[in-house]
Amino acid sequence: MKKYSVIIFLLFVLVNSSCKKYLDVNNDPNLVYNPPINSLLVNSTYQTGFNVYRLGNITSYYVQYLASPNSGSDRDTYKEEDLSVTWSAFYDVMTDIKEMMKLAAARGDNASEHMGVAKILLAWNLNMLINSFGDVPYSQALLGKDFLTPTFDNQQALHDTTLRLIDEAITELNKPTPLIRLDGSSDQIHHGDISAWLKTAYALKARFLNQLSKTDSYNAITILSALSNAYTSSDDNATLTTFQGNSPWNQVARNNVNLLLDGWLSEQFVDALNGVTYGVADPRIPLITNLTDEDIYKGTPNGQGRSGTGTNNEESVLTTSGFYSNSGAMLWLITFAEMKFIEAEAAFRNDDKTTAYAAYLEGINAHMEMLGVADTDRDTYVALATVSVGEAALTLDLIFKEKYVAMFLHPEAWTDARRYDYMYKDFTLPVNAALTSFIRRSPYPVIETSRNGANVPAVILTTPLWWDQ
Amino acid sequence: MKKIIIVLTVVIFYLPHLSIAQERQITGTVTDEKNTPLPLVSVIEKGTKNGTTTNANGAFTINATATNPVLIFSYTGMQPQELKIGNSDNYNISLSSRGQLSEVIVTALGIRRQKKELGYSTEEVKTAEIIQSHQTNIVNALQGRTTGLQINSGGGAPGQGARIVMRGITSLDPGRPFQPLFIVDGLPIDNNTDVTTGEINGMTNRAADINPDDIESVTILKGGAATALYGSRASTGAIIITTKTGKAGRFRISVTSTYGREKVNKFPEVQKRFTQGFGNEYDSTSFWPSWGPTVEEARVSDPSHPASLYNNYERGYGKGNFFRNTINLSGGTDRATFGASLSQNKHDGVLPFSDFKSYSIKVNGEVKLSDKFRMGASANYINSGGNRKNADRYNEQLSYWAPRWDVMDYKKADGTMNVYGPENDNPVFIANGRNLIDDVNRVIGNVNFMYTPFEWLTFTYRAGADVISDARSETAPGPTGKPDELYPASDFGNYDPERVLGGFIEEYRNNRRILNSTAILSITKDFTKNLTSTLRLGHDIYDTKERSVYVLGDTLSDPTFFNLNNARKVTGSNRKNVYRIIGGFADLTLGWKQILFLNLTGRNDWTSTLPENNRSFFYPSASISYILSEHFKLPGWLSYTKLRASIAKIGKDAPPYAFSTGFIPLNPQFQGGLTLSNRSGDPDLRPEFTTSIEGGGEFRFINNRLGLDFTYYHNTSKDLIIPVSVTSSSGLGEVYLNAGSIRNKGIELSLTGIPVQTKDFNWNTRINFTSNDNKVLSIYPGLTEVVIANQFGYLSSGVTQKFIPGMPVGALFGRSFARYYGSDKEDPTFIDLNRPMLIGTNGFPIINTRQMFLGSSDPDWLGSFYNEFHYKQFGLSFLFDTQQGIEKYNQLSNFMAAFGISPTTTNRREVTTFQGVLADGQPNTKPVYLGQGVGPDGVSYGNGYYRNIYRGVSENFIEDASFVKLRTVSISYNLPTGILEKTKVITGASISITGNNLWLKTKYTGFDPESSSSSSGSIADGFAGFTYPSTRSYMISLNLSF
Repeated sequence: MKKYSVIIFLLFVLVNSSCKKYLDVNNDPNLVYNPPINSLLVNSTYQTGFNVYRLGNITSYYVQYLASPNSGSDRDTYKEEDLSVTWSAFYDVMTDIKEMMKLAAARGDNASEHMGVAKILLAWNLNMLINSFGDVPYSQALLGKDFLTPTFDNQQALHDTTLRLIDEAITELNKPTPLIRLDGSSDQIHHGDISAWLKTAYALKARFLNQLSKTDSYNAITILSALSNAYTSSDDNATLTTFQGNSPWNQVARNNVNLLLDGWLSEQFVDALNGVTYGVADPRIPLITNLTDEDIYKGTPNGQGRSGTGTNNEESVLTTSGFYSNSGAMLWLITFAEMKFIEAEAAFRNDDKTTAYAAYLEGINAHMEMLGVADTDRDTYVALATVSVGEAALTLDLIFKEKYVAMFLHPEAWTDARRYDYMYKDFTLPVNAALTSFIRRSPYPVIETSRNGANVPAVILTTPLWWDQ
Repeated sequence: MKKIIIVLTVVIFYLPHLSIAQERQITGTVTDEKNTPLPLVSVIEKGTKNGTTTNANGAFTINATATNPVLIFSYTGMQPQELKIGNSDNYNISLSSRGQLSEVIVTALGIRRQKKELGYSTEEVKTAEIIQSHQTNIVNALQGRTTGLQINSGGGAPGQGARIVMRGITSLDPGRPFQPLFIVDGLPIDNNTDVTTGEINGMTNRAADINPDDIESVTILKGGAATALYGSRASTGAIIITTKTGKAGRFRISVTSTYGREKVNKFPEVQKRFTQGFGNEYDSTSFWPSWGPTVEEARVSDPSHPASLYNNYERGYGKGNFFRNTINLSGGTDRATFGASLSQNKHDGVLPFSDFKSYSIKVNGEVKLSDKFRMGASANYINSGGNRKNADRYNEQLSYWAPRWDVMDYKKADGTMNVYGPENDNPVFIANGRNLIDDVNRVIGNVNFMYTPFEWLTFTYRAGADVISDARSETAPGPTGKPDELYPASDFGNYDPERVLGGFIEEYRNNRRILNSTAILSITKDFTKNLTSTLRLGHDIYDTKERSVYVLGDTLSDPTFFNLNNARKVTGSNRKNVYRIIGGFADLTLGWKQILFLNLTGRNDWTSTLPENNRSFFYPSASISYILSEHFKLPGWLSYTKLRASIAKIGKDAPPYAFSTGFIPLNPQFQGGLTLSNRSGDPDLRPEFTTSIEGGGEFRFINNRLGLDFTYYHNTSKDLIIPVSVTSSSGLGEVYLNAGSIRNKGIELSLTGIPVQTKDFNWNTRINFTSNDNKVLSIYPGLTEVVIANQFGYLSSGVTQKFIPGMPVGALFGRSFARYYGSDKEDPTFIDLNRPMLIGTNGFPIINTRQMFLGSSDPDWLGSFYNEFHYKQFGLSFLFDTQQGIEKYNQLSNFMAAFGISPTTTNRREVTTFQGVLADGQPNTKPVYLGQGVGPDGVSYGNGYYRNIYRGVSENFIEDASFVKLRTVSISYNLPTGILEKTKVITGASISITGNNLWLKTKYTGFDPESSSSSSGSIADGFAGFTYPSTRSYMISLNLSF
């Protein structure tokens, strides 16, 4: 009997251990567990750039660059719209950026380029988020299963975090050339050029510091100092040139052609350029949009929607030949023109009208060159008395007026508008607006309110952000 | 008849005086206790190789060779009888009466048990009822035949999948299979519906590959104790299918041929007053199908306008037809038998260019090598597939099509699309050009043996494989380049910026296989004369592997060359999947005096999908069965009483790879980039458990003329593994966690009767009633809902089906008309329909954008009413089926309202005052114009009430989808034995005429409410707008046996 029980026991052990191996097949073979660090660079850079479009497609309705062809559309009229897709796009890219940082940290100084770029991208995304939504999850965010319902961090503290991240990035990028280099084809923004990334870091720093214009911590000197290390010409512009599908604004223009109406210009923007508001025809408008069948440039008032059927060329739209929306169009993330306007504003607030005026004119010129305006048209426009007013007559109004045109479709334009209290000429509330004053923040998305509701702050859309007092 | 008997008697009287052959021809009929003739009863002369089977009339003829022949009659489910042949040569045998007591039923793992032993509810559907409706999909063939099952055909597409749910949904994961397990001849088979190439193409649920003509019986095991031996995979119940095997006796052939025609059984109604255009202005090239002026007004400006408008839905569907043939062969001796069947099926659907074909070959054999050892094998090869159309898109485009034009005129003379304007596409042209063709090759095979070294010890082993290879190809051509070509770019694929090229080719290959091995040791021991016991110990391995490849070739250079080499851009992906589970189980049955039975089971599973320390889990069950009528003397009219109760726990594991975290390539692929997959899981994931308690009884009255089966059950599933959708700021999209519980409780009632039973005429009737209360008890703390699915509606009126604690499983949410609550508090979830509507200052109702509960697709009750009549050679049967208390979202009516097609919009030129109150509580008195443009009061109404408001209110489109259907009516005629004998060759012939889905009563305004926008493998069943319409069919069927 004993012999049998020994045999049975051995069989049992044998079966048990082979059983274990037989059942150890639960690692998903369709996943990669050790990605190369450059493969994470692709999505991190691409989605950061694309987020500029995603956010721009929302804010352009607030600052009345674009208007909806449907009357009473939620975005036009400040209604509570669900922005879960855009919100999630930010956190998705930040997840990849953090994974890249983990891989870089594991390699120490051998991956300082990746660490530096990662920190720039993180700061950039975070800054875009807080300037739309205010308090957002960060310290408890992106930690997976341990924090399925993260708390919302204070926006001011997060703004300091973005500045800190930029400074740390600059330190990383200034370290000696590491073993692991950025791969040019993976880096969708600067294609592996470290000096370009450094300039971008400073450019973002200048932008972030300029956002504080209404607060006591606004410091023009630090802004100007950052600018001196930032862009020196439009060649330094941060752009996305390759896309997974079509260039996003081009896709908008195509949708419109296919009767999925989109990309309609607002009356506010069109009138600012066609002479109605300022009495001057801006040579940039023919390069951006189309003449209607009445042979004029006509925008749609926000909230009003289309006057006809929307399919008969009765209004100006983003066209498939326009500068921002043709099939080869780049996506402009940070431009030299923007830098110049920041410089003009900072210098002006610092009572240095000389620097301010020079920067102001250079900003206009840079934007016109970017669009490909003919030299003569550009010079004619700049030479106008209402534009070249002279140093002494320079006002913040003029700086903001011109910056408004140069920042077309860019989400930072909304930050500018709120810092300027929307005081653009003839800028009014949209038709049938759901709020009684201009919108100051975006509504928290349903993905947070339904899945993390206890932590979402209760806000109304006219409550200004902390820097907007 | 009498004459023949006299002649035979005389002949036979003289036969013993002939000294030549000792053969005697014995004839007779075999019936059951209801006097119904039994076909296919095996009649063997004991001790010889002589045998035959009864024909469709239950008649047999056998040439007995022995001096004192003894005939053995045997039939599944009946007690075998031996008959000593005496002087007579004609015998009428009635097999095994005394009702349920000796009825043998196939239970888990192919174990045949006496039904009286079972302490849980089971039901059996015999072959006669399965083939009665001549459905090709076995799931559809079960509709209305049993209690406890909710079966919905997804629609009328050829090869369309059917959805089956047993005793409610027990999982909170919309991605997990929820149907009962299908077992064929002891082997679990794949019943997936693979929708990788698109949801709305009516893809087949794979159990449909089994040919109903091959099925001998189907046993329904409803979960709990019944399926405890099958383990986790059967926690949602099991459907045990036993296919026909060879029968001893002479070689027999049976041929069945069926031919039928069908057409759509219900169309939505449309308005026929207003024609093409917008804002009451006619334009024959307009995108807008029905916002123009009246037909009379249009004919003034356009004399070519037809006098009446088409109903596009009626126009867009034609007649379908199907043709099916099956040949069954069988033969053998009492030592070896074999069987084979071949079948073919072709079905052309009502949606133009849709079809389905299948071929099947099945062979099986069993050999008795000795008295102690028996082995058998079977193999079934099936090839099936068809040209699948996207009915959702087809119906959507029929909605955009202006009814002024004939949609069937879809091609110009040069072969390009014929359409009236540049902004529309012709759906028939698209259905013709875009083809999704699937081709499935499948082999199901098994080998088994049984060794009985001693009378009390039996060892059974069965191993089987189910191997599926699914090849799909979807193509659409590029533009031809002919002048003035209108090309449907949005359906025929992407096109390049110059619109010169287009088309695409998509190839999908899926290969999967299931390997299964089951070994059972069975020991019987009679402790005393009255106390019997059987102990079964078993071991089970289930191993699946799946690989799939998907390639898309976008933009074809040569517009009709469908080859990946010809595509401008080729992208692809592939997937692998492995799942294994090992089980060990024990089953003990104790019986006392054949009156009281106790059954205990225990099973332990080891699975590959849970973390190592939680991989093994154990679950027991206990059931008791008490035959009261055998224990005590009951009044005469109560012929049989059985009471039963059971309690069982079943464990279930996680889906494969639930807690793997890693990176995936970007989709579409881009510069080799990878991103973190946003699906993860708890590394300490535990199994989920369902506890089910069941009790019931079976009663027979008046000598089995009346029967009542009753069951009450209460199932609670806990620790459910849910993919909890978390907020994106956590860095994840879904996390698999143990959270949540669901409860199902209900009753099942079946009333059967034989109101009339005479020599020539009998009438059987059956009423079934099922009511299941399916409620979500809890989900993850902090989480308020799990979204199952949602479907688009204009102006954000899309409807979402959700799991929400405290609500029924099919809960639907969407936008509604705002109501006035004054100072009372408004409930956040439920609309108080007694409140007045809230009207705005502009005179129109206000939309409540908050997602409110609008209805549930979970039925209140199911019922069926079945009758079968036999008069001599004739048979008539009909089956009514009903599902009540169902609400569904009718997306079709949402579109019909948005485009002015719905009869509701006929009042668009009227002025009305909406009934309701304003924000201050005062009644609304403002008259408003319901149409477009400037109204009679000079006010501009823009795009009109129906486009501005009505189509944006989901509440308008949640409809009562309850129905009563006449599922099947069948008339059959069996040729009398007398005529058959004259042919000498044919032993059975019958002809039947059947109609399916003949009559429908429902309040639903769209197509047949049973059809679904979701696939047969989807938990979501709340959407029924754009579906492949169900059909009413008529068929004639001929059966010959040789």
